[in-house]
Amino acid sequence: MIAASRAFRFGLLSIAVVVGSFSSSVSAGVDLPGNKKVEEVDFERHIMGLFGRMGCNSGSCHGSFQGKGGFRLSLFGYEPERDFGSVIRDNLGRRISISDPDGSLLLLKATGQVDHGGGMRFLKNSWQYKIFREWIERGAPWQKGSGEVVKVTLNPPEIAFKKAGEAQQVQVMASFADGSQDDITAFADFRTNDDAVADVSNLGIVKSLRPGSTSIVVTYRGNVLPVRILVPMELPVGFQYPKVPENSFIDRLVFERLRQLNMVPSELSNDEEFLRRVTIDTIGQLPTPEEVRAFLADKSPDKRAKKIDELLAHPLHAALWATKFSDITGNDTPSLENPPQQKAKKSQMWHDWFRKRIADNMPYDEIVRGVLCATSRDGQETPEQWIEVVKKIDNDAAKGVSNDYADRPSLDLYWRRQQAQTVELWGERTAAAFMGVRLECAQCHKHPFDRWSQEEYRAYANIFGAVTLGASPEAKKVINDENAERKKSAPKNNNQIAIVREVFIGPTARSLPHPESGRPLTPRALGGPEIPFQRGQDMRETLFQWLRKPDNPFFARSFVNRIWGHYLGIGLVHPVDDFSLANPPSNDKLLAALAKEFADHHYDIRHIERLVLNSRVYQLSSKSNETNKLDKNNYARSYVRPMMAEAVVDVLNCALGVSERFGNDVKPGAKAVEVGATTLQNPSLTYAFRIFGRPPRTTACDCERAMEPALPQKLYLMTDPILLGKFNEQDGRLQSLLRSKKSEDEILEEMFLATLSRLPSAQDRESFAEYRRRVPNRREAFTDTLWALINTREFILNH
Amino acid sequence: MAQFRSDCEGFARRDFLKIGAAGIFGLSLPQLLQLEARANQPARGQQNRRATSVILVWLAGGPATIDMWDIRPNAPENIRGEFREIPTTAEGIRISEHLPRMAQVMDRTTVVRSLAHTIPSHGPATVFMTTGNKPTPAVQYPSIGSLTARMLPAAPGVPPFVSFTELRNGTAGLAGYLGTGYNPFIVEGAGAAPANNRGPIAANLRVRGITLPTGFTLEQLENRDRLLRSFDRTFEAADRNADLVDGLDAFHRQALDILRSDHTRNAFNLQQEPEALRSRYGTTAFGQGALAARRLIEAGVRFVTISIGGWDTHGQNFNALRTRQLPPLDQVLSALIADLDGRGMLDNTIVYCAGEFGRTPRINQNSGRDHWARSMSVVLAGGGFRRGYVHGSTDVQGMAPATDPCTPDDVAATIFNQLGIDPHQELMTPTGRPMQLFREGRVLNRLLA
Repeated sequence: MIAASRAFRFGLLSIAVVVGSFSSSVSAGVDLPGNKKVEEVDFERHIMGLFGRMGCNSGSCHGSFQGKGGFRLSLFGYEPERDFGSVIRDNLGRRISISDPDGSLLLLKATGQVDHGGGMRFLKNSWQYKIFREWIERGAPWQKGSGEVVKVTLNPPEIAFKKAGEAQQVQVMASFADGSQDDITAFADFRTNDDAVADVSNLGIVKSLRPGSTSIVVTYRGNVLPVRILVPMELPVGFQYPKVPENSFIDRLVFERLRQLNMVPSELSNDEEFLRRVTIDTIGQLPTPEEVRAFLADKSPDKRAKKIDELLAHPLHAALWATKFSDITGNDTPSLENPPQQKAKKSQMWHDWFRKRIADNMPYDEIVRGVLCATSRDGQETPEQWIEVVKKIDNDAAKGVSNDYADRPSLDLYWRRQQAQTVELWGERTAAAFMGVRLECAQCHKHPFDRWSQEEYRAYANIFGAVTLGASPEAKKVINDENAERKKSAPKNNNQIAIVREVFIGPTARSLPHPESGRPLTPRALGGPEIPFQRGQDMRETLFQWLRKPDNPFFARSFVNRIWGHYLGIGLVHPVDDFSLANPPSNDKLLAALAKEFADHHYDIRHIERLVLNSRVYQLSSKSNETNKLDKNNYARSYVRPMMAEAVVDVLNCALGVSERFGNDVKPGAKAVEVGATTLQNPSLTYAFRIFGRPPRTTACDCERAMEPALPQKLYLMTDPILLGKFNEQDGRLQSLLRSKKSEDEILEEMFLATLSRLPSAQDRESFAEYRRRVPNRREAFTDTLWALINTREFILNH
Repeated sequence: MAQFRSDCEGFARRDFLKIGAAGIFGLSLPQLLQLEARANQPARGQQNRRATSVILVWLAGGPATIDMWDIRPNAPENIRGEFREIPTTAEGIRISEHLPRMAQVMDRTTVVRSLAHTIPSHGPATVFMTTGNKPTPAVQYPSIGSLTARMLPAAPGVPPFVSFTELRNGTAGLAGYLGTGYNPFIVEGAGAAPANNRGPIAANLRVRGITLPTGFTLEQLENRDRLLRSFDRTFEAADRNADLVDGLDAFHRQALDILRSDHTRNAFNLQQEPEALRSRYGTTAFGQGALAARRLIEAGVRFVTISIGGWDTHGQNFNALRTRQLPPLDQVLSALIADLDGRGMLDNTIVYCAGEFGRTPRINQNSGRDHWARSMSVVLAGGGFRRGYVHGSTDVQGMAPATDPCTPDDVAATIFNQLGIDPHQELMTPTGRPMQLFREGRVLNRLLA
């Protein structure tokens, strides 16, 4: 196969030479828009650039693995040889006609003169047409390597507009391997990351549309560069930018950016707003009416800081982050080991493992090590000791809802799935979880909007080649004995027993070969050092040591970004697991400063949380002002945001004053944020979790957690019979209030405090009074009121 | 929050729109007009829309289609089985003797005998058949119902996608990468009942979330809504710019539309149908579901899934088929096809009857048949599918397709072609990866009239 393809390439080379020798006609160059000119059309620089820019080599067109209409180009144009061969030789050479360039099939198709599945890509005699034509006329030459890019530079590298409605040209220069430089603006591809803020023409002219910040992404033959765009507000004449107090470097860096944008941060939130927001964000619950009252009555100046400390130490705070870590690490219940009836229990152990560590405020790097480098025997126990621990955990798990799994040093469940997992999957999962990098595109082709090649993808995946699930030579005997015992003592006709397997580092490593040469590929950290396999050593450990270094480009940054994204509603890099060249952080300095702080403080998660929550930025009001109403990602105000599905379930129960029944796999009285499994025995909860976007955790992507509003959510809140049934629970809020001796005014206040965490406004009181006049029945009026409250946007959103 | 994100591939219709909107640079006027014209063109194929809705009749467990639609009379005894074949109203098509009513509507039906895939396991096979994409761990493909809901919006007040069952306990038949908003609305009180279940009658059926619970009147809803709107005014001052706040408001209004509309609720009021017709569908939950499905389609629903379980016949296959499985299927499916046809709805409604796989041609020692994905039959009717036509064939022993082999992807692509949706159109996953609807699917032109 390899030999054949090499012969093919040599064949092409010789054709290139022959074809090249035809070049005789006089070359006058081609004029480009903007008074530019291409003196000599080059196959790699210009023709392949156009294939990319015009979309010819995209995956749905000729870049698909089967090609289209018998014409195949390399996906995104990474293989000049293949593309040259396709253009020159395939289809019996009819694709181009040197003697009659205008009759070349390539041009007839691209201009729609001959039926073309992809429609008309450019007009006859357009500059694109002339580029192709000129190249064909000159004999369709190809000089191998002429387009090899050393560096792409942008001029200007970033644009700070004065206001909306301006335009600015971005020029793209490429330095090539032969030392030459070329203006390739017309051959590069431009995209905007936010077309509300700035738009860009396909010739690189950027237009500012409205205040905000975004980036324009420039790609040229596999090179990806962002241009930062800043569009400030236009301030009225004489506007005095106010002085805004700062609590820490977070405030300084955010407000510095807002200043550049002429946006004034919103006011500080009031106490009710703050308490509701911070309680939802830290523990996924609502404050009780008593807590709201107590907080409002507290006159101490540091009551917010004290409340933050209290909430960060709350047991449910660890549960909430265990839920987030369950998402990040893929705690996908159906994928866990058989038997089926124990899967939910295993998911709970997974959740509890994280919960214990968050509660203990274990440093982040140590938590990651417990996942990334997990083995079942944790590298210290003898097989005999270990099997006793396994037996005890399995026994306890079979009988009840608590066991010692969380005391195990490492989370071997992460690596224990029912189906065999490929090294590719482990590569993708670990990169997304601990580096915030989405690698999956690079499985089949160079990542179009990031730096990763197929080779890097595979070399990284190879780090996981020695991870084995089964029985190591040392433990084989005890495992076999235990499994024999389990089979023997199982009831007849029951093949649903838990088979003991062990995660260990095997004596050999699976390894993916080099994608082109087929040669062995040494394992390598992403953008980091090679980690050669040595028998008896765990390559994951070396990877981990590289990750945890304070100067690692991903490790600290990706996790502080997750913290920031959780508490502020939008990550500095957003989505939080999409660190890529095309998706730069909205505030580079802040991300760097947070990451440094994290590394300097030994990856102390709670320290960063405390900093974020105590910042003025976090505590801003969600009410916008005239200057910041258009802001979307610079944190000029608190963003109104949906709650996690688990928080929705808990918050509804808080408001209605009822508890939930999760089934036998979960301890009684648990809150939704404490539940580990993605499958539940309670169908009503399964439904609520699904419509509010609890992720199945099957893919390594934060995007699985759907955070957009959807119609079924609204219908659920209005009509779900189980939810409405909770209104009637005797110990629930509504019935207790109706039974109480409280006045109607007091009941109304209590209901507002329990749902919106604030007292009713004068207007609210008036609305209720008006309603009460029309609904004479007290019970009915308050039932309707509670229904109305949980159906407000103010209730179901965090703000 | 829908942001234009960088993606793997690129040249989307959106780019044309953008050039049209803001591309005053570097384009000549004719170019611009061309590009705009292209952007305004309907997606390829859309002009050929034949069908507007689909009813999926799901046979959960994997039906022994070799004993139903593809009898092998010339195979050895341990394959042939116990059933004989009978002629039908479609010339040359013969089916099982236990589907006599289906034989009467065969002239309006299409049988595909050469479908095959490679997954003989219930879960992933169900995903494959109901999504038209081979499952992979990397992507959660949306079910064809969810895709229909995404591509063909329904009328106001009507949910686009309704399912009488949660496939595989809610692990299949969902919206996948499209997001939870495109999940089916689930009908409660039905479920994948055993075939002979006479259980819940239609009066108890309700679509979860789109009808008010008993005792909650529309008038009460309007009252409460007024109160809620007055309470919600306080919040108006907050972040008015957030898509989220406006989005929720739009969904609020849509939800009210649905709750006020009696279209969907009415669909379950089977008493409005003549007695004779109701008895043709029969009194099983499955039969009533099928009749309600037809009424839902009339109300404007785009995609309805009804289901009948019990097909996993590892033991006593023939007894189970003869007594329990085939009689209700025969009755209900034939009634549905005839009813749709009689109302002139068959031309724009596709009926698709399939399960996750077929069953082993070789009969096991328990007179059963085990899982077999390498050959199976599915049945289609309406929506421009060729009437009275058999597509493909299996070999003598029924082990594998002999002619015109095709895949779940192909059938899905063909159905979408009939809905006027280009099966290779791309949608963006939340990670920004463009996905063709049915990457491997080819439109089976010979299936079409």
